[in-house]
Amino acid sequence: MKREYPDSVTASSGEAAAKGKLPASAQSQEEDVDELLAALGYKVRSSDMADVAQKLEQLEMAMGMGASASTAQVTDDMGFFPETVHYNPSDLSTWLDSMLTELNTPPPPLPTPSRPPPPSSAPSFDPAESSTVTFDPNSISQTDPSRERKRMRTGSGSGSCSSSSSSSLGRGGAATTIGSEPVNPAPVTAPGLQVVVVDPQEAGVRLVHALMACAEAVQQDNLKAADVLIKQISVLASSQGGAMRKVATYFSEALARRIYRLGPPVGPISDPSTFDSFADLLHMHFYETCPYLKFAHFTANQAILEAFAGCKRVHVVDFGIKQGMQWPALIQALALRPGGPPSFRLTGVGPPQPDNSDALQQVGLKLAQFAHTIRVDFKYHGLVANSLADIEPYMLEDESRDGEPEAVVINSVCELHSLLAQPGELDRVLDTVQKVKPKLFTVVEQEANHNSGLFLDRFTEALHYYSTMFDSLEGSNSSPTEPQDPGQPDQVMSELYLGRQIFNIVACEGSDRTERHENLVQWRGRFNLAGFEPVHLGSNAFKQASTLLALFAGGDGYRIEEKDGCLTLGWHTRSLIATSAWRVMAA
Amino acid sequence: MAGSNEVNANECKMAVPLHTWVLISNFKVAYNMLRRPDGTFDRSLAEFLDRKIPANASPVNGVASFDLIIDRTTNLLVRIYRPVPNPNPETASIPSFLEDLSGPASPDPFPVIIFFHGGSFAHSSSNTTIYDALCRRFVSLCGAVVISVNYRRAPEHRHPCAYDDGWTTLKWALTQSWLHSGDTPRLRVFLSGDSSGGNIAHHVAVRAAESGIDIAGNILLNAMFGGIARTESERRLDGKYFVTLQDRDWYWKAYLPEEADRDHPACNPFGPNGTPLDSLSFTKSLVIVSGLDLTSDRQVAYADWLKKSGHEVKLVYREQATVGFYLLPNTNHYYEVMEEIKSFVSSNC
Repeated sequence: MKREYPDSVTASSGEAAAKGKLPASAQSQEEDVDELLAALGYKVRSSDMADVAQKLEQLEMAMGMGASASTAQVTDDMGFFPETVHYNPSDLSTWLDSMLTELNTPPPPLPTPSRPPPPSSAPSFDPAESSTVTFDPNSISQTDPSRERKRMRTGSGSGSCSSSSSSSLGRGGAATTIGSEPVNPAPVTAPGLQVVVVDPQEAGVRLVHALMACAEAVQQDNLKAADVLIKQISVLASSQGGAMRKVATYFSEALARRIYRLGPPVGPISDPSTFDSFADLLHMHFYETCPYLKFAHFTANQAILEAFAGCKRVHVVDFGIKQGMQWPALIQALALRPGGPPSFRLTGVGPPQPDNSDALQQVGLKLAQFAHTIRVDFKYHGLVANSLADIEPYMLEDESRDGEPEAVVINSVCELHSLLAQPGELDRVLDTVQKVKPKLFTVVEQEANHNSGLFLDRFTEALHYYSTMFDSLEGSNSSPTEPQDPGQPDQVMSELYLGRQIFNIVACEGSDRTERHENLVQWRGRFNLAGFEPVHLGSNAFKQASTLLALFAGGDGYRIEEKDGCLTLGWHTRSLIATSAWRVMAA
Repeated sequence: MAGSNEVNANECKMAVPLHTWVLISNFKVAYNMLRRPDGTFDRSLAEFLDRKIPANASPVNGVASFDLIIDRTTNLLVRIYRPVPNPNPETASIPSFLEDLSGPASPDPFPVIIFFHGGSFAHSSSNTTIYDALCRRFVSLCGAVVISVNYRRAPEHRHPCAYDDGWTTLKWALTQSWLHSGDTPRLRVFLSGDSSGGNIAHHVAVRAAESGIDIAGNILLNAMFGGIARTESERRLDGKYFVTLQDRDWYWKAYLPEEADRDHPACNPFGPNGTPLDSLSFTKSLVIVSGLDLTSDRQVAYADWLKKSGHEVKLVYREQATVGFYLLPNTNHYYEVMEEIKSFVSSNC
């Protein structure tokens, strides 16, 4: 039944409210989105507007919120949607559908809401206890792709298994085209220059100003002016306190390298030889000191857990296993799920070690011990690779071809951006992921565009990003009224870890510049082109991550946000890291 | 008690354009899920559902914004918007706010609008997209610097937290020389807000008057007031145009001190427990009222009270407007009210 509405004073874009849906081609979808509501954060196709209105009305009626609500039955505000998981609230139409469906059908026996993993994020290994524990040595293996190249088998790695995934389909992008990709960043609009000024004292502002002026001088190749400014910066920085001084020091060290080009390392972050041997240690401290990586692991694990629901054999491929810190919590959650755990296979990818130590093996060993103590059938495979682009689908294949097919998830935490330093590498990796056809591809990346071709833009973005980041380290480790003891080792290590990123972004170029962070909008564009569609993270993951954050973060300024089906963690209003999930677009 | 027994759901839909109906109904439905009968609030779901937008120091349509923590102890954040006319491509690389924060007063007078977003004390934030859009509009409209206050919300933070945050912001603005302007530089500040924000603006203005701080003007959009007794419009319009008395009562219960009732002066400043304004040099007010807002007669009574207390008021009564009309540029109400705001600001700056 058509309703009559008064004419708008200004017409909105899009076609008239026809009842039929447009054919689902990406272009017309994008063009059809109503501008007025889009400006307020809601994506509704113009052609759907009347439909959406109708759904709202239905929902209101069903919730007893009709015009006479106040006389109606007391609205039990919790009664209607106690267990509903909400996804992607910007997409009003789908969001309303999900609630109407829930109201109209008796709720099925709910899959147990995934319980949050236990607090200890670091696995507790006790070698003494494990002396009597035997584990299958065959559960751990390691391969080196370069030796495996002769085994060129085609075929995708995983089959699918039935599961009750409640995620809604995101809208797909254009047809898959995999060509060679330029090193330049994807041509999509970034969200603008986000600035959160936490220390508005005059000196801090002048310091930022001087840094920017110096960067501008560098861009213009005015090295004389840059030299003067560098000295000014160090004077200003010395009178500054807290996060701003540290950030300024790292940025000016990086600028100095750029200006004086052939000079010796001028500080800890510009000397790669000393740094890289501590890389793992610094990463670990960063993990412990602040919640960003914990958030990343937690939210990715939530999505993985949901994807594995009902699957008896699962395989996780970790594109950057490092110390394997993400996995004990997932293994534990799988152990606790009703119906018991699946058999769990983990492929850990890592770089070759300069001293030929078997770091990957060590990690696998510890995880195997852990899995054994909680009775999860566990297999581990270490995959040494110089670059993710060296991985071929056959390396991830399920060796035992009989029985139930394996459900595969590929997980990448801050591993994709470095691929942008070499033309074609990201393409190859996404192609491999496509061929493996995982149930889910979980991706975590820094939420920033530090890959602009223009040096000054990159510098500006990075300055604000890391200022916020450093401030959060400062803010969460001390009470507001007591200044942080500057010597805290964890914090210093974390700052060094971040300082190395700053150095790379500012002082390096070409294939050396590996910290090529891009934001969600950019990644979405790349994934769409490569044939992936989003799998939305929902309000349950949001809520549990918030709870965890409150327990462990300590700092009042952390904020989780939902953006187009992805979850971000930030400091105050600035998102700093984003978790998203993807799957291969249906043909 | 219900309004007229002739319930006609279509009345509401006839009163507003389709987009407005969709937008406000969406809020109505979503907010209904967040309020629990026991007075608690599903903050996690609220934050999940709220659509937010980051600040942007690069000008968009001539307006740039950045966020600022002005009080570390409460983590009070404000979003500052400023006009960036004709950005010079040469110097555009260095965001102008850097000049601002350390800059001197300006010889050319400009208004500063401290804005308190609505949400009945419980919903929304300064980075909520609908309010970011509204603030940007005010900048373009008035050539103003707008300071949107991310005040602490109920039920986690009851009265007087929101007022305290407003007061902190005003005092902070007074210390910022870059916000001062004119031959004898001073802060030409307006207080404004919609719904609960309007209520906050009033109470901060009272504190300002009590402290001898000069406010150029108050701009109230459907300011939120209440009282124990039900007014005629409350009875007539209950549940008719997106809003119910039941939800109004819930929000007052969440904001006011636990033992208080709706005649508490925060809720009912001109009620039995209110304080007279006659002896205060209270500022001028622009009071904008939607006729289809169920508390419309309270808002009109507020304007009357100001007038009777000897203070200048302009009442703009939009008979056919509902709540939230100022969120979408799709009605005469929107455009005409924006013009009223523009002329109020320019004549009082």
